Amino acid sequence: MNKKPSTKNQELIIGWLYPELMSTYGDSGNIMVLLKRCQWRGINVKIINIDQKSKTQDLKSIDLLFAGGAQDKEQSIVIKYLKKHETEIRKLIEREVPALFVCGAPQLFGKYYEPSVGKRIEGLGIFDMTSIHPGPKKERLIGNIVADVNWQNLYPKNQELRTKSYMVGFENHGGRTCLGPTAVPFAKVLKGYGNNGEDKTEGVVYKNAIGTYFHGPLLSKNPEIADFLIAKALFIKYSKEIELKKLDNTLEQKARQMIARRLGIKL
Amino acid sequence: MLNSLLTGIGKIISKSASLFNLGNGSTWPGHIALNINPQFIKQILSKSDIKIILVAGTNGKTTTSSLISNALKQNRKTIIRNKSGANLLNGIASTLISYSDGAGKIKKDFAIFEVDENTIPQILAQITPDYLLLLNLFRDQLDRYGEINTIAENWKSSLQRLTSSTTLILNADDPLIANLGQKLKAKIKYFSCNDLSIDNYKNPTNQASDSGYCPNCGEKLNYKRIIFSHLGDWLCPKCNLKKPKPDIDNFSFYPLSGVYNKYNTHAAVLTLKQNGLTDKKIEESFKTFKPAFGRQEEIFYKGKKIQVFLSKNPTSFNQSFQTIKDMKAVTILIILNDRIPDGRDISWIWDVDLKGIENFKNIYLSGDRVYDMALRLKYELGIKDYELKVKVNDELKKAIDDSVQTLNNKETLFILPTYSAMLDARKILTGKKIL
Repeated sequence: MNKKPSTKNQELIIGWLYPELMSTYGDSGNIMVLLKRCQWRGINVKIINIDQKSKTQDLKSIDLLFAGGAQDKEQSIVIKYLKKHETEIRKLIEREVPALFVCGAPQLFGKYYEPSVGKRIEGLGIFDMTSIHPGPKKERLIGNIVADVNWQNLYPKNQELRTKSYMVGFENHGGRTCLGPTAVPFAKVLKGYGNNGEDKTEGVVYKNAIGTYFHGPLLSKNPEIADFLIAKALFIKYSKEIELKKLDNTLEQKARQMIARRLGIKL
Repeated sequence: MLNSLLTGIGKIISKSASLFNLGNGSTWPGHIALNINPQFIKQILSKSDIKIILVAGTNGKTTTSSLISNALKQNRKTIIRNKSGANLLNGIASTLISYSDGAGKIKKDFAIFEVDENTIPQILAQITPDYLLLLNLFRDQLDRYGEINTIAENWKSSLQRLTSSTTLILNADDPLIANLGQKLKAKIKYFSCNDLSIDNYKNPTNQASDSGYCPNCGEKLNYKRIIFSHLGDWLCPKCNLKKPKPDIDNFSFYPLSGVYNKYNTHAAVLTLKQNGLTDKKIEESFKTFKPAFGRQEEIFYKGKKIQVFLSKNPTSFNQSFQTIKDMKAVTILIILNDRIPDGRDISWIWDVDLKGIENFKNIYLSGDRVYDMALRLKYELGIKDYELKVKVNDELKKAIDDSVQTLNNKETLFILPTYSAMLDARKILTGKKIL
C-alpha cells in the first residue's frame, strides 16, 4: 500500500459568510477551531470574510464554507446578499465543497423560513426542508443537546474513515424545521430538541454541506466534525485522499462527558 | 390595612427563613405580598416620603448603587437598598417589607433599587422614580434575556409614562441607551467617558461588540473613538443621530480600577450632584469606598491576597481581563459555571478577547464547565503553552488552594468568576455565604 501523502505545504481557503450579520454567540469559535486544527497539522489557512462588498469571483476559490447564526431581524437582510451569489454557492455545494451552517443559518439554505413576525423568507433551497417560527408566544427550544451523528451519510464510501462519536452542544432557536422527503438528517437527537422537538431529527446533510441547530462554537467540543470538514476540503481541492495527523482529543471528550453525565447519557 | 398585615406577615417569614436557615428568605415575603396585593409596591411607596433611585443596565448596577449609597450615607442620609441579585419585583417588595413600620410606611430618605433588565417595564408600572439610571446594554445570557434590541424597545415604550418629576441618567456613549432619551417628558442627563488614554478604534476586533448599528435607522455606525465594546463617540452616517452632549465625562477621583468603573463613577456623580452634593463631598466619600462583594473586592486567604473580579458576560470578562493585565497580574483563576444566574449557555467564552494571556505565568481553571474553558485556552495558547501554564481542577476548593500556594508574599491571585462561581468562591474564601 502506498503511504498517503502528508498535509505539508497544502493550503485551504475558508470562506466565512457575512460574519457581521451572522454572529450570535461564539460563532467565531468555529473558525478558530478550524484554523488551529489545520495549523497544528502544517496546513496553511486563509480566511476570507464574505460581506456586502464581496464579488462573486471571491467565492470561487473557497475550499470550506461556514455561516453562523443570524437573529430574525438580520435573516431578511442576509438572504438578499446570499441570493446575489446563489449560483456560485450552489456550484460550490454541488462540487462537494464541505460547508457548515449553524444555528439560524441553515434556515436560509432550506426552501423557506417563516419568521415570528414579518414576511416569509424564500431560501436557497439547497436543503430539502422548511422552517417555521410558531410565534413569539411559543417557547424557544433552549438547552444542552446530545445527538448521535449519522456518520454513514458523511462518509458513505469509506469504511475506514467511519467514526463513532456523539455530538454535544447547546441549542437556542424559535424556528422549527421539518425535513422534506429527499433530505437526510445530520444526527439523531438523544437529549434535547433538534429540528423541531418532535421527530428526533437533528440538522440536515446534502453532499458535504451540514446544517445544524447546534449553535455557537460547536466544533470546539466536536473535533470529529471539524476534522471531517478539513479532510473533505483537502480531498476536493487536491483530488486525493489525505490522512490527517491525529490530534489529542482528551479535553474535548471530558467536556462532552460533563454535559452527557448531567443528561444521563453514557458516552 | 391589608398592607400592614402583609408587611407583618412578611417580616415573620423573613425572620423564620433566616432563623431556620431556609436559604433565600430575601424574596419570599415580597412574593407572597405581591400575590395577595399586586399593587403592594405602589401603595407602600405612595404613603412614604422617600426619594427613589432605580439603577438598570447589563453591567455596573451593584457598583453604581454602592457608590451612590456610600456617598449619601456619609452625608447623613438614610438609605434602603435591595440585595444585589434580588432585583425582580419580589426582591423589591421584600426590601419594602423589611423596612416599613407598623403602619406600612417607610421613614427613610432614599431607596436605591437595582432592577433586572427585563423587569424595568413592570417596575415602572408600580414605581415613579425620582432618578432612573440606565447604564448600558451588552449581550448577556441570550437564553434568558434575548436580544438587547428587544430590551431597548421594551424600555423605550415603558419610559413614555414618566413625567418631568423623573430625571433619567443615561449613558451618552451607548447608542441604544442614549437614543432612549428622545421625545420624553422626563428630564434627561447624560454621562460619558473622556479617557484619552483609550482608543480602540484601530483595533475594533478587540471587542465583544453588539450594537454598532444605528438605533434609529439601522445603518452601521461610525465611531470617532471607541472606549470599549460599542461604547464611544458614535455617529450615524445616514440619519445623523449622534452621541449627545454629556453633562459629565470625567471626575477628579476614581475609587475603582478599570475604564468600565469610570462610567459607573460618572453615573453616580451625576446622580449625587442632582441631590446637592458637591464634588468635594463626593470625592471624600469615594476615598473611603469599599467595593461591593466580588467587584474588585480584596480578600486575604491563608495569608495571601486575592482580588475577585466578577466576569459574568463577554464585556464584563473583557473589562476584568484588561484591568488585571494593566495591574500586571501573574496568576489567575478563571471559574466558569453555567447555572441559571450565570446563563446556561457558555458559548460566550469564544467571544472574549484573551490577547496577552500568554504572558501570565499560572492559569488555573475551575467551575462546572472547566473543560470548556480549558478548550478555549488550548485554542488560544496552542498546545505547548497550554500544557505549560494551564492547570485544570473541577474541585473549586482545591483549585483555590493550589493557586494560592504558588503565590509569593507580594503576589496577588486574581479570580475571574461567573456570578454563581463568585458566590461559591467567596464562601470558600470568607467562610460565609452572602445570598
